[in-house]
Amino acid sequence: MNCRDYEPMLAAYVDGELSEQDRGRLQEHLSGCLGCTDRLAELTALQEELAMIKFTEPTDVDLQRYWAGVYNRLERGVGWILLSVGSILLLCYGAFKLIEGIVTDPKVALVVKIGVVALVFGAVILFVSLLRERLAVRKSDKYSREIER
Amino acid sequence: MDDAERTLIGQCRAGDKAAFGQLVRAHAGRAIGLAYGLLGNRSDALDASQDAFVRAWRAMGRFDGRSAFYTWYAAILRNVCVSQLRKRLRRGPDEPIESLPLPSGEPDPSLLAERSERIDRIWRAVMSLPTAHREVIVMKHFQEMSYRQMAESLSVPVGTVTSRLHAARRALRELLAGERV
Repeated sequence: MNCRDYEPMLAAYVDGELSEQDRGRLQEHLSGCLGCTDRLAELTALQEELAMIKFTEPTDVDLQRYWAGVYNRLERGVGWILLSVGSILLLCYGAFKLIEGIVTDPKVALVVKIGVVALVFGAVILFVSLLRERLAVRKSDKYSREIER
Repeated sequence: MDDAERTLIGQCRAGDKAAFGQLVRAHAGRAIGLAYGLLGNRSDALDASQDAFVRAWRAMGRFDGRSAFYTWYAAILRNVCVSQLRKRLRRGPDEPIESLPLPSGEPDPSLLAERSERIDRIWRAVMSLPTAHREVIVMKHFQEMSYRQMAESLSVPVGTVTSRLHAARRALRELLAGERV
């Protein structure tokens, strides 16, 4: 193994992620290689610089407010689902009654009835096609799977 | 995952929102930190991390418990953040995350516990890394996640985490060296 092979191991060494066997091999290499020793020093220096960055810790009041925000979103989610289901049911029922009224009304011209029926079938075909496409994207999109995990 | 967390997860699965509240409060600080490192500003970090908790609650039935809750949650949060970045930059879902920069030029330092010229310089350098590099730096150095936890959260092999971290640190060193000149 040469320095190029050892270079990726340096970071794992600094992070404490090397196996005992690899650590021993790397330490042996470091004892005779100035280049890798320098690179190790650079990595350690970078780690020390990054360790200077600390985030503010939320207080109990912050955490309470934060949880209240999450809770509100959870409740709102249920509200949206109920609103959507109710709206869809009412819209479907209204559309059915409207179409039924037009189709069964003897005063409405045949061409209008055919137009309405064609419109309904067209809308259903488009909806099913879009739904199938969305489901196919959802299956093949790695990102959406991760969200659902 | 410890026994207390396992108990809380079981209660959450049974629909106990109070138990979920305990989980949220226990992990909120880290969650905000991760989102802040990925999105670069406080309000977006709060929004994304809360959104991810809502998604986690809805997906709790699918959490298999093989990893710690936070590792699983971090995967959800990371994807919410990447999705926000794509939306803000109006990029499509096929856009590789390597090419997603922070949308605003100047990073917001409002959640940094300490400020100095040196700390600001390091923070700016981290924030100017591409997302794929920034996320491994944030997870490793600010979240203290192990390679295995990072691999689980990013859905990549441990070897990929090692090589990304290597590339990210090299890029960061170059950025910091460039600023010193």
